Amino acid sequence: MRFLFFVDACFFFFFCCSVMATYKEASLATRPKTLDPAEYFNLSPEYRRAEEKRAALRAQLKRQYLQQLNNPHRKELIEDPALTRWTYARTNNNYFRPTAKTSLIGGLFGVLPLFVLYVVFKSDRDKREAKIKAGTYERPYKLST
Amino acid sequence: MLKVLIPTIMLFPTIWLTSPKWLWTTTTAHSLLIASISLMWFKWTSETGWTSSNTYLATDPLSTPLLVLTCWLLPLMILASQNHINPEPISRQRLYITLLASLQTFLIMAFGATEIIMFYIMFEATLIPTLIIITRWGNQTERLNAGTYFLFYTLAGSLPLLVALLLLQQSTGTLSMLVLQYSQPLQLNSWGHMIWWAACLIAFLVKMPLYGVHLWLPKAHVEAPVAGSMVLAAVLLKLGGYGMMRMMVMLDPLSKELAYPFIILALWGIIMTGSICLRQTDLKSLIAYSSVSHMGLVAGGILIQTPWGFSGAIILMIAHGLVSSALFCLANTAYERTHSRTMILARGLQIIFPLTAVWWFIANLANLALPPLPNLMGELMIITTLFNWSPWTILLTGLGTLITAGYSLYMFLMSQRGPTPNHITGLQPFHTREHLLMTLHLIPVILLVTKPELMWGWCY
Repeated sequence: MRFLFFVDACFFFFFCCSVMATYKEASLATRPKTLDPAEYFNLSPEYRRAEEKRAALRAQLKRQYLQQLNNPHRKELIEDPALTRWTYARTNNNYFRPTAKTSLIGGLFGVLPLFVLYVVFKSDRDKREAKIKAGTYERPYKLST
Repeated sequence: MLKVLIPTIMLFPTIWLTSPKWLWTTTTAHSLLIASISLMWFKWTSETGWTSSNTYLATDPLSTPLLVLTCWLLPLMILASQNHINPEPISRQRLYITLLASLQTFLIMAFGATEIIMFYIMFEATLIPTLIIITRWGNQTERLNAGTYFLFYTLAGSLPLLVALLLLQQSTGTLSMLVLQYSQPLQLNSWGHMIWWAACLIAFLVKMPLYGVHLWLPKAHVEAPVAGSMVLAAVLLKLGGYGMMRMMVMLDPLSKELAYPFIILALWGIIMTGSICLRQTDLKSLIAYSSVSHMGLVAGGILIQTPWGFSGAIILMIAHGLVSSALFCLANTAYERTHSRTMILARGLQIIFPLTAVWWFIANLANLALPPLPNLMGELMIITTLFNWSPWTILLTGLGTLITAGYSLYMFLMSQRGPTPNHITGLQPFHTREHLLMTLHLIPVILLVTKPELMWGWCY
């Protein structure tokens, strides 16, 4: 049991080392500015190490994407988890909470116009009806509607 | 009428007895034959009366365009479903086509019914095959939610209708449309009568759908498979409009006062759902909300009860049925290739599918009511009659037209123009079947420009 744990730890160490020590960017790729030897004279070593790690992760992701993209036997879409998360967030209204502001907007655009329109239409039609009853309505258009 | 109904019922033996190799060919051919026979309904004996009638079924200029649309749509639905149903076992394929054919039978009997109770029973009966199609063959887990919303919204609306119809039968002694149009106008002057008025219309307003009760539609349209979306958008929504037009005959003079809230909901709904369209990320959801927007215009046209309103409503219903179904077919082609309905995923398709870009273009132009297509004819008639009803409506309908153009353009530019994502350049090319499907959708729309009398109904 403890031997297996030791083996696992060794693997993990080697994995980390391989990430850190053997990462080399492609010969034509640009290095991030913070990793450019000519630029990082005032950066702390921890910051440099963190930047190296992030560059390594980015390179891994890019490698994974390029492997999938150029795989001639690939039939399906390359899944982008960011896109999935974004569409889920946009389509499910889990992020709506009835607050004072949202209730005001809802009432202003959803409830108030109905009443305003009712008042507008009713008064306009009643005026016309009164004119028709009094016989003073002139039809402005010759429509057979 | 039986000339078309009996072949439709004989579709069932065709489906179950054909050998698996010929299943799709024979069902498509059979339904195409039915569609061509249905064109005979256009030979009206008179401009306004009922034709080809027996005791229970008859056609008149209002129901004929909708009947022909229904019959035309079945071969298109079968064509569209071939690809995604193919991997399933044969008996399940047969079951799927059986559901589509049973939907067809119920719809023919609904649109051809002369008794309002028969129309009601068929109206309810169409819910069952659609529910089964949505919940069994939909693609995401949300389909169960969608089926529930669809079923219970429509049922809750139609239970009052049943009560209202029974009351009507009690008071007038008959529910035949042939007779009721000549009966004495009902004295409608109390609160109970107002509730009866609302009960008559609520079911159809939910089905149309009216803006306040439209929540079932985006869910049902998005989660349904392509044939389900097609039949929902093209025909089932029109059941609501057709029912309203039939019931309006008996509902005067209360309609003058009581229709205001519904007209206002319909008009405001055009703008609201149009604006929601501009913010959609899901392609089918955008087309579904655009359906709500167009149907809002139809509802407004019907509730005003003017001749142009009715004509515009029928024209818009037919044109929207064909165009909306075409858009759902196009969205399905994108879905079958990328298995995703996200719009920004499948964009820049013009470069890889140039001919399909033409279909997208024509379908979107038809959706935004380009002249001389019948979409514009219907919309313009409704907008004009609404303007005559009250000049202030032009603000709402004009803004609605603008927003419609906006989201149609958005849909086209998002799916066709722009950079094609690198990982979708290897998609399957378009099949002839899919091109045929789009042609069969768009040719009738263009042909209807030349003979719109077929669609005008009895109010012209």
